[in-house]
Amino acid sequence: MPPFAAPFAAAAVALCLLCAPAAASVAPKVLRMAFRTAEAGFDPQRVDDRYSVGVLENLFEPLLTYDYLARPVRLVPLVAEAVPQPEEGGTRYTFRLRPGILFADDPAFKGAPRELVAADVEYAIKRFRDPANRSPYGWLFEHKLEGLDALAEAAAQGARFDYGARIRGLEVRDRYTISFKLVEPDFNFLYLLAMPNVVPVAREVIEAYGADTHAHPVGTGPFVLREWVRRSKIVLERNPRHRGYELDPRFADPADEWDRRAIEALRGKRLPLLDRVEIYPIEEEQPRFLAFLNREHDLLDETPFAFIHQVLPGGRLAPSLKSRGVAVYREEQPEFTYDVFNMNDKVDGRDNPVGGYDAARVALRRAMVLGHDRDREITVLRKGQAIAAQSPVPPGVVGYDPAFRSTAQDHDPARAKALLDLAGYVDRDGDGWREQPDGSLLSIVYKYNAGSQESRQLAELWVKSMADIGIRLDAEAVQFVDLLKDKKAGRFVFAGSAWIADYPDAQNFLQLAYGANAGTSNEAHFRLPAFDALYRRSASLPDGPERSALYREMSRLLLAWAPWRLGVHRIFNHLQHPWVKGYKKHPILYTNFKYLDVDVAARAASAP
Amino acid sequence: MAAYVIRRLWQMIPTLAGVILLIFFLFNWVGGDPAQVLAGKISNPEQIANIRKQLGVDQPYWYQLWVFVQQVFTFDFGRSWSTNEEVSRILLTRVGPTLTIMVPVLVIETILAVAFAIMVAYVRGSLTDRAIMVACTTAMSISFLVYIIFAQWLFGFKLGWFPVQGWSESTWRNITHYAPLPVMLAIFVGLAPQLRLYRSFFLEEIHQDYVRTARAKGLTENTVMLKHVLRNALIPILTNVGIYLPGLFVGSFLLEVFFSVPGLGREIVTAVNRSDFPVIKAVTVYLAMLTMTINLLVDVAYKLVDPRVSFK
Repeated sequence: MPPFAAPFAAAAVALCLLCAPAAASVAPKVLRMAFRTAEAGFDPQRVDDRYSVGVLENLFEPLLTYDYLARPVRLVPLVAEAVPQPEEGGTRYTFRLRPGILFADDPAFKGAPRELVAADVEYAIKRFRDPANRSPYGWLFEHKLEGLDALAEAAAQGARFDYGARIRGLEVRDRYTISFKLVEPDFNFLYLLAMPNVVPVAREVIEAYGADTHAHPVGTGPFVLREWVRRSKIVLERNPRHRGYELDPRFADPADEWDRRAIEALRGKRLPLLDRVEIYPIEEEQPRFLAFLNREHDLLDETPFAFIHQVLPGGRLAPSLKSRGVAVYREEQPEFTYDVFNMNDKVDGRDNPVGGYDAARVALRRAMVLGHDRDREITVLRKGQAIAAQSPVPPGVVGYDPAFRSTAQDHDPARAKALLDLAGYVDRDGDGWREQPDGSLLSIVYKYNAGSQESRQLAELWVKSMADIGIRLDAEAVQFVDLLKDKKAGRFVFAGSAWIADYPDAQNFLQLAYGANAGTSNEAHFRLPAFDALYRRSASLPDGPERSALYREMSRLLLAWAPWRLGVHRIFNHLQHPWVKGYKKHPILYTNFKYLDVDVAARAASAP
Repeated sequence: MAAYVIRRLWQMIPTLAGVILLIFFLFNWVGGDPAQVLAGKISNPEQIANIRKQLGVDQPYWYQLWVFVQQVFTFDFGRSWSTNEEVSRILLTRVGPTLTIMVPVLVIETILAVAFAIMVAYVRGSLTDRAIMVACTTAMSISFLVYIIFAQWLFGFKLGWFPVQGWSESTWRNITHYAPLPVMLAIFVGLAPQLRLYRSFFLEEIHQDYVRTARAKGLTENTVMLKHVLRNALIPILTNVGIYLPGLFVGSFLLEVFFSVPGLGREIVTAVNRSDFPVIKAVTVYLAMLTMTINLLVDVAYKLVDPRVSFK
């Protein structure tokens, strides 16, 4: 080394030492992704859309949550000290909150740290039933907690909701203890308390922001809302007040590659690791897809069906993506699509050709189910990204039985025709269309959402499938809001629908056929005493073989009476660039940013 | 002129009343029930009724109409039914991005269309004229959506000249980074029909007697075309630009959706889909007012362009 080089070398080393920590501190870990639909807002008790709730997961903390890695899903405590055991025959649940949990800073707290207390939980639950909040999830706590309905009814008569009233259903025993007293046994109640909406909120924050609570979410979660350009950009930043988490690997599956990688990336680290998350609602498929390929986004949630052949040709990740280290997570979502027959005898005062419980009408519905080409729906319309539903209970929820199989929902036009002939639905006038057993015209109208191309394609498939078995079916496009209204009011004959799990139990799906829910979630207006009796019995039982047997029996009744054509459970493919660490999709929780990490150096190195 | 302007302003009142009535009856007879959307996936008739009451859609029609009229004159349309955001804030925050895209589009497109139109009109019947007309017809026959999808893929993804999509808080970054591709696309698509239209205006003028006279007097071709022909053709051009001006504030829904521009066009479509009547009302009324005002300004501008025009 020349003599003059030594001072330069020393200076260079010193510079490196000085710059190293500085560089680390100025390279924040930022994760960017898109939502495929715009959010509505961030007042937890006032939203129910998947995307708003997906953000809420990171801003607020419910009493319980789901273990990140456990499958099937498993409840674990979050702000509660433990998952409580049911008391008094499943009608009481008592929680003790962890002391010392703080809300994120907000001017409403006037500069003082604000600790989470049991009264915040009580206040939040009451907000669901305050008519002024128009809570779309108000039904979660309807006929549920002792005394809460009475408060809601009084408020509905014009009085202000009495948040100060003490009710048996919500008993705040001390600063950290709250006990829920239920109207009747419910062994799924704990799932409600793990929903990202059912989270404690600070009353002073809600009252300070009045009508603008959507823009001021203040919770105890690991992130805070830093910036929100509605329907365009959502920015979250790490909550400096948050106590931090650690990954619990106890329930991981050692054979699962995703679990192994997540543990490797996160074990022993204080979570969250991300400094900032940027979310961009992009409704159109192409920009969402290209933004991921272009590395503008780190994740692509739900690869659009239009690009599925480019991403997964032949069902395998495309070599061009694989060579870049992109990974795909294939998820069977806890949801199902279905087509609803109106079971009422009359529609708008006229005879409903598909409604009723007599043998001929049952045969007609079952024949239509057999005649519908669901296989084509899966292979062509959904490009293979769906599995045929065997029962209304989707994979991944408690009560799902992979062995449950039935031929009642197969595509079998020959059986459909035979069944129609047997029930007297034959073509009497030779015009190519079958008439009703009494000889009158058989014409069925299928209503679908005019704003959805997918719905239009599904409707066209129904028209064609029914024509193949001689049934005249007309598809009628209606506005989405009108379709909702018509289904609730029973002003339809046949229509498409779908349901995604609010909580991971079969009950959440089977309630769609419970007689008492007719006109609300029971769009078929299906009223079968045998089914209702089984449903009520199952609701009073904890998870176990007895309840699972009841769920199976209820599914069998639905297949036999055919108030629905069971559709599919959709499969979504989520893509990640190699610098995203800790990823594993959860069937109920949508975003889970607290478990994600970004390798900033790897991302920088990948830039073209 | 003052009398003319006052008369025109006076005529706006019945027009605005017609717009108010039309929106009101269209919403109530054709529009969906917003309470059904807001009630969530499980709701009962009592909840629906409660929401209708809160929104005021359970009131008699005459009362709802009266509230609407009050809103128009106080410029206070309340809050969005779907997001609870103040309608005035929605409009104020969305109009900036829309204008960032649409103002350059209108200015550049008009300048280019006028320049090209006068050139091809001058060489009417030549190979250049025919080639440009064929190119225009071809360009017009392709859907805007196809241009967007192709350009986004080519220039945004494949060549990487522009970001695929996005928008920033910095106006400068938006102008230099995010706006160029959508602006160029809109200009490219809008240029062909404008060029054809303006060419026909120029052709009509080129064959007038005053042009022949000007040439007979020995004026240069530049003076004939740029001073006499251009000035006379400006009246129909001005009318056409005037028709497009209100559209500046609505933006292009497709551009905004594909390039993630948080503009008014996207907001309006979302509002219609969600039966968000306060937003629909505000946008429609403001647009009607804007259209009437711009029409008046264009009529006044005629006088500046052509002194022969008189206000009667």
